[in-house]
Amino acid sequence: MIGRIGRAAAFPRFVAHDLRLSSRGLASMFGSLSPRGLGVLIALLFLALHAAAWPIAGWLDSVEDGPNGPARIATIVAGGVALVIPWIVGQSLVEFTRTLFGRSDLELILSSPADVHALLAARALSIALGAVASVGLLLAPLADVAALRGQLHWLALYPALLAAGLAGTGLAVVLAMALFLAAGPRRARLLSQIAATAVGASAALGAQVIAMLPENMRASVLAALAPAANDAGPGRSLLMTPVRAAAGDPRAILLWTAFGAAVFVLACVLFGERFARAAIVSSGAPANAGSSAKTTSRFGASVGAALRAKERRVVWRDPWLMSQLLLQAAYTTPLAVILWRGGGPTGTVGVAFTPALVVIAAQLAGALSWIALSAEDAPDFLATAPVSRRAIERAKIAAIGQPIALILALPLAALAFASPWAGCCALLFGAGAVASAALVNLWRQAPSRRGLVLRRHSQSKLVGMMEHLVSILWAVAVAIAVIGSWTTIVPLAAVAGVLALNSKWAAVGKAGP
Amino acid sequence: MPAPDVPALVLRSLTKSFGARAVDGLDLAIPPGEFYALLGPNGAGKTTTLRLVAGLLPADAGEIRIFGIDARRSPIDAKRIVAWLPDEPMLYDKLDPLEYLEFVSGLWSVEGRRAKRLAEELLESLGLWPHRRERCEGFSRGMRQKLALAGALIHEPRLLMLDEPLTGLDAAAARQVKDILTDRARAGATVIMTTHILEVAERLADRIGIIAHGRMIAEGTLDELRSSVGGGGATLETVFLDLTSKARRAA
Repeated sequence: MIGRIGRAAAFPRFVAHDLRLSSRGLASMFGSLSPRGLGVLIALLFLALHAAAWPIAGWLDSVEDGPNGPARIATIVAGGVALVIPWIVGQSLVEFTRTLFGRSDLELILSSPADVHALLAARALSIALGAVASVGLLLAPLADVAALRGQLHWLALYPALLAAGLAGTGLAVVLAMALFLAAGPRRARLLSQIAATAVGASAALGAQVIAMLPENMRASVLAALAPAANDAGPGRSLLMTPVRAAAGDPRAILLWTAFGAAVFVLACVLFGERFARAAIVSSGAPANAGSSAKTTSRFGASVGAALRAKERRVVWRDPWLMSQLLLQAAYTTPLAVILWRGGGPTGTVGVAFTPALVVIAAQLAGALSWIALSAEDAPDFLATAPVSRRAIERAKIAAIGQPIALILALPLAALAFASPWAGCCALLFGAGAVASAALVNLWRQAPSRRGLVLRRHSQSKLVGMMEHLVSILWAVAVAIAVIGSWTTIVPLAAVAGVLALNSKWAAVGKAGP
Repeated sequence: MPAPDVPALVLRSLTKSFGARAVDGLDLAIPPGEFYALLGPNGAGKTTTLRLVAGLLPADAGEIRIFGIDARRSPIDAKRIVAWLPDEPMLYDKLDPLEYLEFVSGLWSVEGRRAKRLAEELLESLGLWPHRRERCEGFSRGMRQKLALAGALIHEPRLLMLDEPLTGLDAAAARQVKDILTDRARAGATVIMTTHILEVAERLADRIGIIAHGRMIAEGTLDELRSSVGGGGATLETVFLDLTSKARRAA
């Protein structure tokens, strides 16, 4: 009885503790902004997102009122659910793994007589809310605006999303604990991170796989999926419950919410004790230190060669980082297969895929140059070396070219086979995009940790905006070039302008107080 | 090549502020081959002084000369003969000790065969040879500190600066580090070390400097410091506490 009362009291206390830490973490992202300023910023963001959602809600209106409207809406909702649920599971898996291995305050809490089930439930709830918020930021304004336009059933996105958060986080807890128990503390972290990435991107990858199937097989797969997805009435398949819940079916909302809550509670009850044991074991577990192959000694290398070798080793030996980069490659591989199958220059192939390759090259360059420049493990050590900063930066940027070239070689070769002109454009414009993304990161370095590479833009939003802007401009430029129009110089001039502005601002920032 | 009688380090009116003065017109001269201990209470400006000398921070004013080289005007030339070992080892988790030393020797352009021999000797003497192909991510604090020391020594610096090099080391590792530093000083290198372990300074240092509020408040051999507070048999701890409490009252 006392234990139950203690558990009931501990849960809200842990929730309040986690909420306080989360809110302070959020506030610290905005630097010295006052609480009032932060409130104004959030209100403006709220309004901006709702304004942006207005045309999308209008489009949904027109689809719904058009021919075969309910079925088409059901297909759209099904597609959304297929993207959102894996995303939530992936996000939750990442956060839960971080909680499990992050030490933070777990050692303190677990050394107290606090109930571990309440602790797990509070941590999992915080993770679920975070995952829901990451999607809700886009979906909630859409639901609000659609409801304002008279389509009240879109408000069902709220409970459907919350239930998806609970179910997804419960599933992530089960998956992470299963990996921990099966692989042990030394490997579980990496496996969880890779699994999270794969799960999060599974819908997008699945779509790519379907696109790779032979024509007749693809048609039959799509036909098998279509009736279920288009089933707007009382569906037969339980699997379609989240889709019907999101579409506003009250019974499905109840069923889906009950399912989400059950999975969440079950995961917390079943794994509370194991979570505590795993957290203690993981905090004492040594890092999964690998051994190096007995490579030839490279003593006596030049300064540039030494720096390039170091950067290469540091990147290739980071399995988590490599999993992220190889996932980018996984996205490009199906493209390459499609291009090979295309079997020659078709004109549209180049226009369709060359910009995608250029964007991927720019994104990879952005991530790798950030790692090399901003996430240097020993910046003070390098600063004490008798080498100029410029020489160090030059060598670092030279070092990031190799992984990008390796990852993009296959799709680039396929593109060149399908359309030599498009391949040539992809190579030239891709190199330009890589250089631009690297320059943005060179001019705006912000010391950070390597593990934050995927969240680097939350630290410096300006760099994120610049990176995206130049990669989009390069993509537009290459698409125009593939068509053969001289107007490609317009986006290229815009790239030059953006880079010049960025360079100027960076110089002003350095010269400032 | 500087003349042999040129001081290893000369600081004149060195000043650095972070809002408040961290280093306040500091003057210091250390001859070559000396083992010098820089002591002071927390926040006295010890680490900032050494970071200024290492070229990690720009000085606001003053002069830094390392073996006659103006470190503010020719930082690259100065860095060639200096090594800096901070209290938190600066390593790469994904590199193994041999690769780390390859990298460091490359940065200081140490000739290949010489670098290889020195790396092997250092790893042997520091007890890291059996771990030469293991990545640093699995290393204990002591192993990391010893490898960082090997990195600082592989280019045979003429001026070696260490910030709390014994923090977190067990007795055996601390003994190894102290022996290596003493050997280096005997071999002619100049060693400057900050430490809060006063017995270490008492035993190892030829001269001791005590700073407070960014200023040098006392300097000399242990006997000279003792006589400055009027206690012939006083321990360094007594001398240190006496001098720093006077400085605190005067501030």
